[in-house]
Amino acid sequence: MAADPVKLQKTKDIGIPSIAMCVARTPNSGRLIFGSSDFKLHEIDVFAENPQPTSFGGEGHQSYVTGVVLAGPNIAISGSYDGQLIWWDVEKREPTRKVKAHDLWIRRLGISPDSKVIASVADDMQCKLWNAETGEMLRQFSDHKPMTPHNFPSMLHAVAFSSNGKFIATGDKVGHVAIWEATSGSKVGTVEAPGLYTWDPRQRRHSIGGIRALAFSPDNNLLAVGGIGQIGNIDHLDAPARIEIFDWQKGERKHELNNDKFKALVEDLVFDPSGQWLLSSGGAGDGFVTFTNLETGKPIHQDKLPMHVHQLVLNETNDMLFAVGHHKIAICEFKADPSPAAPAEPAKS
Amino acid sequence: MTLSRRGFLNGAALGTACTFASDMTRLDLLRQSSWADEVKKQGKRVILLWLAGGASQLETFDPKPGRPTGGPYRAIPTSATGVHISELLPKMAARIQQTTAIVRSLNTKNADHGGGATIMETGRIKDPGIEYPDLGAICAKELGRLDSAVPDYVSMYTSTEGRRKGTSGFLGSRYAPMFLSESMQPENIRRLESVSDLDHQDRLALRDLLAKKFTQNRHSDSLGSHTQAYQRVRGLMASEKLFDIEQESAEMRAKYGPTQFGQQCLIARRLVEAGVPFVKVARAWWDSHGENFETHRELCADLDHSMSVLLDDLKDRGLLEHTLVLTFGEFGRTPGINASLGRDHFAAAWSATLSGCGVRGGACYGKTDEDGHKVADGEVGAGDLFATILSALGVDPRKEYMVGARPIPLSDFGAKPIKDVLI
Amino acid sequence: MRWFPRIHLAALWLLSTVVSASSAELPSADLPIEQVIDQLAQQRLEAEKVTAAPQADDANLVRRLMLDVAGRIPTSDEAKQYVANPSAAKRAELVDRLLASPDFIWHQRNELDRMLLPNKPNDGEFRKYLLWAVKENRSWEAMFRDMLVGDEADENRKPALTFIKSRARELDDMLNDTAILFFGVNVTCAKCHDHPLTPEWKQHHYFGMASFFSRTYVTKKNLLAERPFGEVKFKSKRKDDTKGEQTAKFEFLTGAVIDEPAVERSADDIKKIEETIKAAMQKDDAPPPEKPAFSPREKLVEVALRAEDNRFFARNIVNRIWDRFFGRGLVHPVDQLHAANAPSHPELLEWLTRDMVAHGYDLKRLIRGIVLSQAYSRSSEWATGALPPDPALFAVAKVKPLTPRQYALALLIARQSPDQWPSLDKPEEWVVRREQLENGSNGYASFFEMPGENFQVAVDEALLFSNSKRIEDELLRDLKTEIVGYLKSLPDNAAVIEAAYQTICSRPPRDEERAAIDGYFQSHSADRVAAIRQVVWALLTGPEMRFSY
Repeated sequence: MAADPVKLQKTKDIGIPSIAMCVARTPNSGRLIFGSSDFKLHEIDVFAENPQPTSFGGEGHQSYVTGVVLAGPNIAISGSYDGQLIWWDVEKREPTRKVKAHDLWIRRLGISPDSKVIASVADDMQCKLWNAETGEMLRQFSDHKPMTPHNFPSMLHAVAFSSNGKFIATGDKVGHVAIWEATSGSKVGTVEAPGLYTWDPRQRRHSIGGIRALAFSPDNNLLAVGGIGQIGNIDHLDAPARIEIFDWQKGERKHELNNDKFKALVEDLVFDPSGQWLLSSGGAGDGFVTFTNLETGKPIHQDKLPMHVHQLVLNETNDMLFAVGHHKIAICEFKADPSPAAPAEPAKS
Repeated sequence: MTLSRRGFLNGAALGTACTFASDMTRLDLLRQSSWADEVKKQGKRVILLWLAGGASQLETFDPKPGRPTGGPYRAIPTSATGVHISELLPKMAARIQQTTAIVRSLNTKNADHGGGATIMETGRIKDPGIEYPDLGAICAKELGRLDSAVPDYVSMYTSTEGRRKGTSGFLGSRYAPMFLSESMQPENIRRLESVSDLDHQDRLALRDLLAKKFTQNRHSDSLGSHTQAYQRVRGLMASEKLFDIEQESAEMRAKYGPTQFGQQCLIARRLVEAGVPFVKVARAWWDSHGENFETHRELCADLDHSMSVLLDDLKDRGLLEHTLVLTFGEFGRTPGINASLGRDHFAAAWSATLSGCGVRGGACYGKTDEDGHKVADGEVGAGDLFATILSALGVDPRKEYMVGARPIPLSDFGAKPIKDVLI
Repeated sequence: MRWFPRIHLAALWLLSTVVSASSAELPSADLPIEQVIDQLAQQRLEAEKVTAAPQADDANLVRRLMLDVAGRIPTSDEAKQYVANPSAAKRAELVDRLLASPDFIWHQRNELDRMLLPNKPNDGEFRKYLLWAVKENRSWEAMFRDMLVGDEADENRKPALTFIKSRARELDDMLNDTAILFFGVNVTCAKCHDHPLTPEWKQHHYFGMASFFSRTYVTKKNLLAERPFGEVKFKSKRKDDTKGEQTAKFEFLTGAVIDEPAVERSADDIKKIEETIKAAMQKDDAPPPEKPAFSPREKLVEVALRAEDNRFFARNIVNRIWDRFFGRGLVHPVDQLHAANAPSHPELLEWLTRDMVAHGYDLKRLIRGIVLSQAYSRSSEWATGALPPDPALFAVAKVKPLTPRQYALALLIARQSPDQWPSLDKPEEWVVRREQLENGSNGYASFFEMPGENFQVAVDEALLFSNSKRIEDELLRDLKTEIVGYLKSLPDNAAVIEAAYQTICSRPPRDEERAAIDGYFQSHSADRVAAIRQVVWALLTGPEMRFSY
């Protein structure tokens, strides 16, 4: 059953001491594994009466943990700004393998739908594919320039597998997206979203923004990219959350949505499995969630979340949402009675 | 004085020599510099890399890796044993022992852009009733020559945010900066094509001739400065080429790289090489309330490269031992990381660096606490930093200017140089 | 700890029991101001055995008077007519004409603006208020009240509050600038300690002044407001201090203390009030805060103006006006009215202060008296060959750099063809022209620095005049309505030289100047217009244009 976004309601939020940068969920449970600013992975059962995170032990990461995926019932793989990928025994909460994967900061991990391949992207502008079981590097590719047009180091923030596992998309700071065939590593398309990159040539003389989130539609035809629109004062995340949706094979931009309700950075994108809407989430000082109708490109429903969200996951039945972010984990369910009398309040900018 | 080649004034009754009554040394009555002092500061130069908006000490010279406040970046060892700095500054890390001292214990108390900038420009708290000169003006006066043909205080601030020109305060406009805000060339330094060079010279000579009668029996420092300002015009126009990096080889320009800050550092080197005593290059804008880490990734790359090349170039030319290169801005940034992954204004525990002239390379003075919230050891204020800078240049920081009846020491009352970072 | 060891900051000579001159010994209150000035200035010169410089000639004087009273240079005709006028009363007539003219209103506005809001130049609203106040010839006392207490509901007076509002972020700015600008006292140093040399000047004086401002705040809607409660606490930094933390009283510089009536408030009341204030400071739509029954700023104005305590307020404005016209205060510097810094002419300051109070703080009256005095109209040349005398004797006129506004106006007037001005018998036409000039001067005024103590002309200014296109295009245009075009139309070089000097310098050229420029024309005869441009340039950039002399 497709979830009805209008029924979204926050049911719980849990304070945590650090900033959660990424999350994965053990299927059919409330057990979340999140990577965080304290350089660690933690596990928490959000359905427990008094949920408390438990840290993973052993010699772990040496910087912010920015990507985590589950590759089997007992295997978690994490990536970090320290350039390492670490395989973990989830039960024992101990590392089983470490791979020096990138020379610079790993920004995100992706995993193929069959859980056999993981993808890592990092500021060395490379996308690397790994055998999830053996840790062997399968291939690497890049279509991303190391420097921005304004001569500063660029960044490669986002990666996503298509729903059928055939394609991988990577998106960089200046708004360039490349789409790759997963098995061969050959480039099969590109799209450009320069509206997500703000270069300030006059007032502050640096840049902000970039592609922070990517997602393929269930039919693999659409590719959504997220970030933040053009910012006037780049000291702050002070522009509308921005999404662009492409029919990537045709190279056509189908929708472009500057969210007039939330000034924020889009950190994560999730398509409704039934193909009706796109969920985007992220934040600035606070967090937000927006559901966009894929036909019209207009928001169906949006709401504030209690913290800047860095990543989120849906449950199997798509009626529950688990978001992690700035010192908090929030759980939402799609069960509220739609009530026009209680519209969502806009976030403070 | 330049004479017209046509010599229209030769033999004119008034003569052509210009005199002016200004007594520019009046401010120094209390403490005349000794000859030995003069020798000590001869040929000393300063380049201030002003990190406008407030660079984060945690992403530069005082990293706190692994602490909740530390952010994602690692600390890397430097060429100075035991001294680590942020991995965002790898090129500087290789040069610390040879060139640079770090001061990690600044507490300047004011975390407001304007107030903080005033403190860090003048080395003291704003005082109603006295307009203090900034570091550039003090150095222009102490290190420059009155009749210098080159500018003695050049200030570059090309980004618009937080732009400040600098002030010569009670030292007067003679020491005000030549200010480059719109382009890399100073304004009005090039002759208009509609005025021939000969006419340009001749009308200046006529002006001086006519002015002479007026200034002869009128006693005023201000009047003298007016005469003198016009007398410096031709000399300053000749320094136009100093601002033109096309005069450098392609190889040299490539070394400094394509960023504007890099190019301005190259201009700064050209200026100090030609004898300009003080050059300020403002790199704006570090005010990373959102996306602190991405912002510092960009700006630190610019700083790391430009500063390293500048230090190397100065060294290669034998200028580094006479040139003091400084980095600081109006304040640092909070150890706490906000919800936009930004850091906010913070003046309670932050860092500055001094490189080159008079500086003990590899020295690392002061400590902040584990998370960087407070100074744990060796707290110093802006006045102490200024006393240190002046000492490094061989200028006595206790030297006093007389302003009316008030003796004002060059660095704030009670300020002490940080001996540990000085040779 | 910050203090100036050699400054007797606060042994306020005003407070001392031995007042420099008792009223009984002062010249009669009925004498004209200029006569008293000259009498007392002369006494001092004689005591010092100094002979003053001769009086400036008429051409010099008309230029000085115009710059000082009208804020601009005279037109060619104005200067010529003044010099040619044989009347013995011509100076007083000119002064009275100028003081009644729109020129004075603009200039007085500009001068008050730069004195009162030096860090916020050209604040439109504040300047509007000043213009209104000067037009009304509002007393200095009333203006002080407008600026400190004001009335948000009165359209004319409301913008005066910018004086406090623009400083309201910092308590120190409010209290120091008020003390410096209205009382002539810089109390900064007493913030940290009692002064070591002057027992009567205590830390509590600083904090006493602070208490008058500590409750002031500005709401989100930019309304000036005061909290109904709040105290200033301070602690001596002396090692032998035994008093610990003290609460400051509402204490004026004279030592006068204002008592605040006790008000009973429950913790709940206080909380509510705090919340209202917080809302007013943060929200646009919050209701305006209630005016408290006891307003410290109102009390400050009250005490500062009452007869027994008004000496700071009255002396300060006399001294500042004197400083404006003579380039130096009777007490100098003007923010140092204290015992160790006695006035150069104590009786004169006393007399002028008494006159100021007696005539309702009428600034125009004092200005008129000053500019009619012989002391004011001395030559600025000291040609004896000896070093010039102590400037505190006012034996020779000071060469004063023009303010940016004066210089801009001078340039705009000098660049104009002299036949373009309304004739002198049509003052109503001049009203319109003057306003145009005022507005037109904004651009040039922004190029120059505001002169302060030890003012020096920046080399930027010389470069601007030497190489900017704007100067070439706007001041040296070959148009018949402008100076270059006008001079070009004259028959010969001699006429050009006469007209150029008369227009730009308000005087005929001297022989050696004629010779020098004639020589220039002869050696640059290939392009006459270019040569005229260069001569005009040389005069526009000369010290005679840049300074009032």
